[in-house]
Amino acid sequence: MAMQDIKPTRSELINIKRKIKLSERGYNILKMKRDGLILEFFGVLDEAKNTRGELQKKYQLAKEMIALSNTIEGTISLKAAAFSVKETPEISVKPKNVMGVVVPEITSKKVRKQLLERGYGLLGTSPVLDETANAYESLVDSVVRSAEIETTMKKLLDEIESTKRRVNALEYRVIPELTEARDFIKMRLDEMEREELFRLKKIKARTAA
Amino acid sequence: MEIAVIGGGEFVIGFRLAGIRKIFAAENEEQLRAYINQVLEDPNVGILVMDNRDMQRLPVRLQRTLENSIRPTVITIGEEEGGISMRERIKRSVGVDLWK
Repeated sequence: MAMQDIKPTRSELINIKRKIKLSERGYNILKMKRDGLILEFFGVLDEAKNTRGELQKKYQLAKEMIALSNTIEGTISLKAAAFSVKETPEISVKPKNVMGVVVPEITSKKVRKQLLERGYGLLGTSPVLDETANAYESLVDSVVRSAEIETTMKKLLDEIESTKRRVNALEYRVIPELTEARDFIKMRLDEMEREELFRLKKIKARTAA
Repeated sequence: MEIAVIGGGEFVIGFRLAGIRKIFAAENEEQLRAYINQVLEDPNVGILVMDNRDMQRLPVRLQRTLENSIRPTVITIGEEEGGISMRERIKRSVGVDLWK
């Protein structure tokens, strides 16, 4: 707001004072929101680190197992077994609200399967294959969890960033400008009052003379 | 919703064993990119699983798109250290390097 745009009137002063009050209230609320979001984020961060590590470990295991079944079963029969698995894991996403940020809550169904539900023949395959399927199922489980947490983290980070921007804009731009305008109007009004007084005195002196 | 897996033939076969239907075995980079675009447009896919190595080979722009994508959420797994971009994001948003 440039200084020339401000009209030094009493109503404008009242308006600006009201605006300052509003901005300060908004600023306090947003600051609290930012701190709350960051606290929330710390919790998610720890969880994210844990799930990342777990994911990595499970992936290692799953890779070893698939290599093993590749060797024991052969590529063709491994593929055949893989393509005969019928049950598909399903995931459903429910929105969850964390401090005004909508984050997904992902639940999975039919990831873990019983031996007989898998769909490939048990007679023609070795237990290694079952172990491999097991390893991958648990990997998928981890992936689902990790997806939930990472999405939550991304959304929280976005929200933290925009809240921080707003807080900073209010603190360093909006509020200082408004206070400056308020002070300017106050000074100007005082100045005008003094001029008026001086003028009155002049007139009085002239009429008395 | 479903899970989708994109990667090399060996990478995806295990996921097929876990019952995931949407597996895409990409032979080369062009195919990889085509599959990724296909999955990104599929409204039924909730999670996309990719190999870290494949991810590194993609153009940076596409990597960014995938990393920022929320639906589907992209999860990369593999030996190499993941989450570099997450670290950058945390640094930018919180102002402190909190990752690790």
